[in-house]
Parts: sequence; structure tokens; C-alpha cells
Amino acid sequence: MGLQFKRFTLNQRIEHILFFTTFILLAYTGFPLKFPDEWWSRLMIASVGGFDNRTLIHHYSGLLMIGVSVYHVVYHLIEKPRFDILFNLKDLKDFQQQIRYFFRLSDEHPKFGRYTWKQKFEYFGAGFGAVIMGFTGLLMWKPFEAMQYFPIGVVQIANLFHTWEAVLASLAVFIGHFYDEHFGKFPNISWVTGNISEEEMREEHPLEYEEVMQNKETDEVVHETDEKRSILVLFGKMVFTIVFLAICIWMLWISYHVLVEAITTYLL
Amino acid sequence: MKKIHQRACKLAALLVLAGMFLTVADAQIRNEDISCFHCHSSEVKEFEKSVHYDRNISCADCHGGELKISGAAVSITAMFTNFTGVPTKTNMTEFCSRCHADAGRLYRESIHWRELEKGVAIAPACTDCHGVHNILPRDNPDSPVYPDKVPLLCADCHENQTKMSAWYYGIQTDRFDTYKKSYHYKALLVGGKGLAICSDCHEYHDVKSENDPASAIYPANLPQTCGKPGCHPGNSALITGGKVHEGQSVFLLFIDAKKLVTYFYIIMIIFELAFTLGLIFLGVTSKYELRRRH
Repeated sequence: MGLQFKRFTLNQRIEHILFFTTFILLAYTGFPLKFPDEWWSRLMIASVGGFDNRTLIHHYSGLLMIGVSVYHVVYHLIEKPRFDILFNLKDLKDFQQQIRYFFRLSDEHPKFGRYTWKQKFEYFGAGFGAVIMGFTGLLMWKPFEAMQYFPIGVVQIANLFHTWEAVLASLAVFIGHFYDEHFGKFPNISWVTGNISEEEMREEHPLEYEEVMQNKETDEVVHETDEKRSILVLFGKMVFTIVFLAICIWMLWISYHVLVEAITTYLL
Repeated sequence: MKKIHQRACKLAALLVLAGMFLTVADAQIRNEDISCFHCHSSEVKEFEKSVHYDRNISCADCHGGELKISGAAVSITAMFTNFTGVPTKTNMTEFCSRCHADAGRLYRESIHWRELEKGVAIAPACTDCHGVHNILPRDNPDSPVYPDKVPLLCADCHENQTKMSAWYYGIQTDRFDTYKKSYHYKALLVGGKGLAICSDCHEYHDVKSENDPASAIYPANLPQTCGKPGCHPGNSALITGGKVHEGQSVFLLFIDAKKLVTYFYIIMIIFELAFTLGLIFLGVTSKYELRRRH
């Protein structure tokens, strides 16, 4: 039994769904080309129906992701720019406090507002990644057109950026974001409903909770519901855990191999 | 008693005759070259699978000698006829060219042939790439010159440091390694079609040194080579600036941009890994600690 709080608007939820769908498709059709020798590469490419389909899916999901990113920026510039997503001094203090808390140097966990410092990092990381992946991806899609304006070395650097940023972004999303937002808070369906529970609000965003509860008339408070934990949730968590662990192992394998390759080529 | 002995002798002779006839008949079904098959059965069997067997080429067309001679006479006739046995690479080039005139002419322009003429025995002739007895058309997946297999075929010698250094010190042995990093090879491995293999840029019969102005990979010829229909027609003049295997370095204030990007991301990824995994670990342990205290 508890209140429900509005966290994501319909617009944001649609953006998020489009962004993660294209992200997963891009990772799924992109990494096999980076590691063509591996057995899973062949399986993954066969599962989308061959190499030409892979290329098609990769190119058009890339375009869609660029579209969503541009739309996001334009929408928020036109609609109402919000500044609580920007970094401020409190984030630094929160971070310090959280580390102190983790190392038992303090008993007090920092009180987060609407966006924690980690969520801000994820948001700007996604933005940074989308810009890099978008530009380098377009360069690599039409290398000879790109070479009319840049030397071939720039296209090769685009390739380098594309791979590295792909690994970095996938690590951040498939390990960091999945753990924090979906594994730790399972079943977190706020990306579908747009709402979070009072319990989560009080625990994760206490400052925002206090602010909202002072004037209960705002549209941030949605409605009251009963919360049920069924056997289905438990089963879902089990399945999610297995998938999550598999993806974690895959991502660690990829980052290990990318690092080893880079270190042997450039440092040794 | 004598009669029985005679009968047994007759029967045995008959059996031997029948046996001889049967083996001959068997050989005749397999191949007309009866006398060769008696001793070189594995070679003949291999040859039977080749495209040449289908076109009615016989052993003698390449090896010389007579086909229709009895096994006992082979060693004698070999000395007196034009039997060549294992052909030398020069001979081979000659008799392959009798039918494959264009390929032979192109091959004689190649660096492989030139080195062979200089006396480098290791330089490849026809059979080093196409196989010996079991020669197949290049669109047959079992052929060693089937497009998907060509990189491995070339790498067999060109990645081999002993072969390359024993021959000529100027040949780099990292060509396959550098090619492996390219989109051309990676996409080829996962089933891409129409991607450049060694011979698409370097040519195959008339492969030439990079310093030869007639070579397909001589810088002035690169636009034409890369701009082949089906590859990069149109804008290919733009590729002239860069080395394809090595990649081109872009410098920002005397620092190699590729190194800069790599170092940046090595740090970023190690940081990201340590941070994400570290925070997960710390979060889990502190939650556990909290529960324990309550």
C-alpha cells in the first residue's frame, strides 16, 4: 500500500524504449563483426538472417538512434529546459559521502534529489556516446564520401572510436545500468508505467520526496496502489539474473580482449 | 591322380587369368590410363576428381610418356620416350600454358615467375596455388583458390617467416595479420559477399612487387584497383594517400591520434570496469552490513 510518484513522462518512456531497442540491436549486430572468429558471432549473424541483414539492421537502427538523440535534444530545448540534470557541487559531496559510507567511515548515506550523481553520469555518458557513435558511424557507413573531406586516417580513427565507445557504452549499460536500475530494483517497471512507489521514492530520492510531499497537490503524485509480490516476480528475477550474468560475462570477455589487443599493438 | 592335378592347374590358371582380366576391367572403368593406375593408384584416384579428368586430359598430357604400355615396359620406355616424371616448375608453366595461354602469359609477368627464373626454388608455380592432381575450378568450395580460402592460401607462405626470410628479406610477414584487422576480412569471415581478398588488389597470376610501376598496388594505380566495378567505383582516387595494410597516421601536435584515442579508452574502460564493479561490490557488502546490524 503506497503512493505512486510520476518519474517519467510518456515522451521520455517512448524515447527510452526506442533508445534501448536500437542500442541492443546495434550491440547485437555490431560485436560479431569485431570478433568474427568466435562461434557466437556466427550464431548471432545467422540469427538475424545473414551478413547483409546484419548490415541493414545495424545501419538503420543507427539512423533511428541518431534520430531519437536529435529529437531528445530539440524537444528539451523547445519544451522546457530542466537544470536539475546538470552536475552541481552537491553531487561531489554526495559521491564523497557515499564512498565514506561504503567504507564504514560514516553511518550516514547521502540523501539524493531527483537525479543521483550516478544517474547524471549515465545520462551524459549516453549523450556523449550517442554523439561519438553517430558521427563515427556515419563516416564508416560512407567511407569514400567521407574521404572527400578527410584523409583516410580520419576514417580509420572513426573506426577506432566506434569500437572503443561501443565497448565502453555496453559496459556502462549492460553492467552498470542493468545492475543499478533493473537488477537491484527488480521488477522495476517504471520504464513502462512511468511511476515509482513511495517506498522507492523515500529510499532512493529522499530530498525529492520531501519536496513533493510538502505540496501534495502537484501532478508528481499519481495514485495509490497495492503492491503484490507474486511467484511470477520471483521467476522473472531468476530468468533476469541468468540473462544478466551471461551478458556480464560476455561484456567482460569483450573488454578483456579489446584491452589485450590494444595493449599488445600500442604499448608492447 | 595326374588328372586331378591337371584339373587343379587348369582351374588355377583360369582363376589367375580371370583375376587379371577383372583388375584390368576395373582399371578400365576407373581410368583409361591402365598402366599408370597400377602403381600410382592414389594419384589417379585424386586426378579423377579434378576438372581435368572431366575434360579428357590424361596423365601423359602433363607427364609425357606412353599410356598404353604394359607395366613391365614402363621403366624401359620411360628412358626412351618423352616421359618427364615429376615436372620442374618451368616445365609445368610451359605445359599448363599450352591450354591456359592467358594465365600462363600473365603468370610470366609476375614476381613469382621472375624469382623462379632467378633460381629461387621456393617461388610458387601453378600447382602451388591450384593444387596438383585434384585441380578444381575456382568457384568450387573445395578448390584451394576458392575466394574465401585465398587469404589463407597466400598466408601459408607469406606469413611464414622462415620461408620469407630464406628467400628475400624485403617481404613483410605481417600482411595477413594486418589484413585480418580490416573490414574486408572480418566481414568475409562472418559471411559477407563481394569483399576484397588478396588477389582482388594484388592480382593473382600477374602479382607484382609494390615497387613495380606496373603493379596493381603501385600508388598511381591504386585508384583504378580500388575503383573496380563492384568495389569502390567513383571516388577511389581519394584512397591514393593512404597505405592500406599499415593504415594512415593522423597527427595532432606531433602525437599520433590513434595512440591518443587508444590510451584514452584504455584508461576509460579500466576506470569504468573498476568503478562499476567496485561500486556494485561496495553496495552489496554495505547492504549486507546494514541488514546484519538491524
